[in-house]
Amino acid sequence: MTFSWSQAVAWLPVLPLAAAALVPIVAQRNARAAGGFTFVVTLLTAALAVALTIRLVAEGPLTVHLGGWVAPYGIELRFDRLGAWSAPLATFFALVVPFAWRYLEGSVPRERWAAFYALMLLNLGGLIGFSLTVDLFNLFLAMEVVSISSYALVAVAGRGTAAWAALKYLLLGSVSSLLVLFAVALLFALTGSLNLFDVAARLAASEPSPAATLALASLAVAFVVKAALFPLHVWLPDAHAIAPSPVSAVLSGLVVKIGIVGLVRVMQLAGESGIALDVFSELLMLLGAVAIVMGAFLAIFQDDIKLMLAYSTISNIGYIVLGLGLAVPFAVSGALVHVFNHALIKVTLFLAAGSIIHQTGLRTLTDLRGVGRTLPQTCAAMTLGAMAIVGLPPTAGFISKWYIGLGAFSAGRVAYGFALVFGALFVFIYYVRMLNTFYFQRATREEVVAAVEPPWSMRGPVIALAAACLIVGLFGGILLAFITPAVGELLAAMGS
Amino acid sequence: MEVLDLRPLLAPLVSFACAALVVVARKNVFWRRFWSLCAAVLKLVVVLSMLPGTLAGAVYHTPVITLSPGVSIAFRADAYGLFFALVTSTLWVVTTIYAIGYMERAEQRARFFGFFAVCVSTTVGIAFAENLLTLLIFFELLTVATYPLVVHAETPEALRAGRIYLTYTMAGGAFVLAGSLMTLSAAGTLSFAHAGILGLDAGRATLAVIFMALVIGFGVKAAIMPLHGWLPIAMVAPTPVSALLHAVAVVKAGVFGITRVIYNVFGADLLGELGFASYLGALAACTILVASVMALRQDQLKRRLAYSTISQLAVAVLAASLLTPLAALAAVVHLANQAFAKITMFFGTGAVREMTGKTHASQLAGIGRQMPYTMGAFTVAALSFVGLPLFAGFKTKWYLSLGALHADAWWFLVVMLLSSLLNAAYWFPIIHRAYYGQRVAQPERSGRRQGAGLDVDRDAAGATAASAGGKREAPLVLLVPTLICAAYVILLGTTAAVPGMPTSIALIAVYETFGLAGPVR
Repeated sequence: MTFSWSQAVAWLPVLPLAAAALVPIVAQRNARAAGGFTFVVTLLTAALAVALTIRLVAEGPLTVHLGGWVAPYGIELRFDRLGAWSAPLATFFALVVPFAWRYLEGSVPRERWAAFYALMLLNLGGLIGFSLTVDLFNLFLAMEVVSISSYALVAVAGRGTAAWAALKYLLLGSVSSLLVLFAVALLFALTGSLNLFDVAARLAASEPSPAATLALASLAVAFVVKAALFPLHVWLPDAHAIAPSPVSAVLSGLVVKIGIVGLVRVMQLAGESGIALDVFSELLMLLGAVAIVMGAFLAIFQDDIKLMLAYSTISNIGYIVLGLGLAVPFAVSGALVHVFNHALIKVTLFLAAGSIIHQTGLRTLTDLRGVGRTLPQTCAAMTLGAMAIVGLPPTAGFISKWYIGLGAFSAGRVAYGFALVFGALFVFIYYVRMLNTFYFQRATREEVVAAVEPPWSMRGPVIALAAACLIVGLFGGILLAFITPAVGELLAAMGS
Repeated sequence: MEVLDLRPLLAPLVSFACAALVVVARKNVFWRRFWSLCAAVLKLVVVLSMLPGTLAGAVYHTPVITLSPGVSIAFRADAYGLFFALVTSTLWVVTTIYAIGYMERAEQRARFFGFFAVCVSTTVGIAFAENLLTLLIFFELLTVATYPLVVHAETPEALRAGRIYLTYTMAGGAFVLAGSLMTLSAAGTLSFAHAGILGLDAGRATLAVIFMALVIGFGVKAAIMPLHGWLPIAMVAPTPVSALLHAVAVVKAGVFGITRVIYNVFGADLLGELGFASYLGALAACTILVASVMALRQDQLKRRLAYSTISQLAVAVLAASLLTPLAALAAVVHLANQAFAKITMFFGTGAVREMTGKTHASQLAGIGRQMPYTMGAFTVAALSFVGLPLFAGFKTKWYLSLGALHADAWWFLVVMLLSSLLNAAYWFPIIHRAYYGQRVAQPERSGRRQGAGLDVDRDAAGATAASAGGKREAPLVLLVPTLICAAYVILLGTTAAVPGMPTSIALIAVYETFGLAGPVR
């Protein structure tokens, strides 16, 4: 059998999914080996995705029809500039999994390790599938794989309120899933097709119908819930804070982005089928701006460092949604770059916070006074991450803020521009408190004084990610150049 | 002529490297001092090495990273930038020596000297920024890097001061960001140009918003009233920090930013047509007078210095907003004049506190007999602020007055006269009391150095009562930097026409900006 690039695209989601089934077998002999196995799988997936991305830049997008059935009947996977999101996805997993090796020892019972690693791989497979498929039913399927594995991952630590947080997450998640299923069914009934671009073409050819608008609206609402856009965010903070830190990193950095990728798909669908999005865009901008301020505002009152990070995700989703809603080149590019940047920063922050919690056993600011002196490297990484999330130059967060803001001002939306620029200041209030407690206050707990830096399997990923926050900030132009053609197509389709 | 050269990038990098080495050296006192001093001297050498070229009309520039067309991180050492860089790097050398002496017994010295170096680095980055984005990046870095210095004492008071400082300056940074973004979308570029980059076609309302955003943003750091609230509070920082950062680096970065906005983003012609600068000038004039009156009412020396700084900074802003070549020259030279005089005062105040524990103006009776050299330097600085000829401050007043007359704004002469009188009113009593005042016999709080032999604990030292009679001059490590700065004040005041001296660079900066070929009118 000879190698072909199209096969590689098909393998990308299949590899982690298939490996997930093998994890329990590996774990039967040795629970630790399951961790190693999972790491190798994520690394392979990442290598494959990166190779595909390099090929993409050189030769252009790649379309695969699974089983040889051509669209609109077969299932179509597309590795284009949006699908290239799977490369960072897999890379982040390859950094989170080694972090989890030692972290699990303190927080998850040994007999559940196999389940943890299997769920992580399922989650990765689902996320990659979601970003590659242009088949609406498969979109739904991938979303369900991601959602169900996420619920289980939240509950995996199995302590106290974890089950309750997972249930809350599940309830709102199911509403969102039902809405997607409803919309997909409606679109299928209207057009007799499931391929996104085929559906769009058929909608464009037929008379405009309220049913199509309804279908698009329910898709949009479903994805907005998934993205935890304020005020539909209520499920997020508890779920993200209670889960074990590697899970928090994945949920907060990567899984919420399903909602964003979904929104981009809705924009594509609407654009290609000629349904006007003006009202929808206005709403996205407004909600985005409100989310930026409210997410940051709510974060101020948290004492638990992981809850604070969870609320800041809500604020950052606000940036992205505002950028998408503005629908001008700079803003949409900035928003899509921020999908990546926020993932990078949030994974950094959650893993750093996880290290601190793992090494001290404490998680509130009040208890963690003076921890910067005993865990200098971890806290330095956390500081860098905090600067990036606030959007201080020259870190990764600044690049996205700069371009979304530029989009807002060049579109003449001065008020949104100011909301964006000043919303981040609220976030900063909290992070200053955090830095003060870490560095400028004396330790009050013995655990803090006695703490030592975590093992290298945890420290390595954290330091690498923190360094990336800075490097991406300096070379953010590359990301922007990468995503701009896709944005051009999207906006051209939307006719704005 | 533009010359591609690495030195504009090298100058900020030297002190970044120094910061890294200081952190590596950590507990090793010798290497920490060695790297601090070494970097300070090296940076001065790098900046000085550009001086001959700049005097000959060369402009060194270093592109670093292009983010997207028209937006890049790049450095460019024009005459104005070089002037500012020269002032900060000269002062960094003396302040480093002073700080080594002053911080001898303080805690967390590695952190202190590390962030100190980062601050100087960012200041030079601001000086050499080729465009608004680069300026903004270093402006924000400066905010972040000064924070650990402000809260250095880690007391609740220091933390509160730090919070207020950050609130003001981060909000300022956000305004600069918003202003830069609007400039970019209106002009399509961010690179500073001598004629400005914005045009009337952007619309008067848009230009007004941009001007306000940028001036408010930089105005926070320049402490223009009513944006000055953070400066007196931030005086809780150790004296070398107050000296270098709150008299030179941070506040001057604000003034520098405002001048860049006025001359290189808007351009004198456009602003003259729009008339926004006159509002700024009026605000600055008010600040000069109000801050001087406030300074009169302060007894604590560092607070009086802080209000005096606010008033002096407004002089530079006022000069810049007059839009005439001579006034612009005043704005440029004032950067140096005020910096050297104010730092002399801070050093003197710090030395007095160090030796005697006295921090208030009313306690200084007889101190001039006790510490004659320190107070001598202090007197030189005070005379400069009042604006006596032969002292640096006179030149600012002279050029500014001429510039104001060219701009047909005679009322600024009245402001300058009042300001001189007020300066005399709050500095001369201190000097009079220091030399002629009789010390009241009362148990005094002793300085750190007196108590040091008895107990190591800094807090306990305050409780030790010791008589402070006779001559007790500050140690050389504190005294020499003070005297050097005082000497500079006189040097700046007497060598205006000497080629190669700072004033000549300032002249070149003004020629460049106004596109003049010959000497300023």
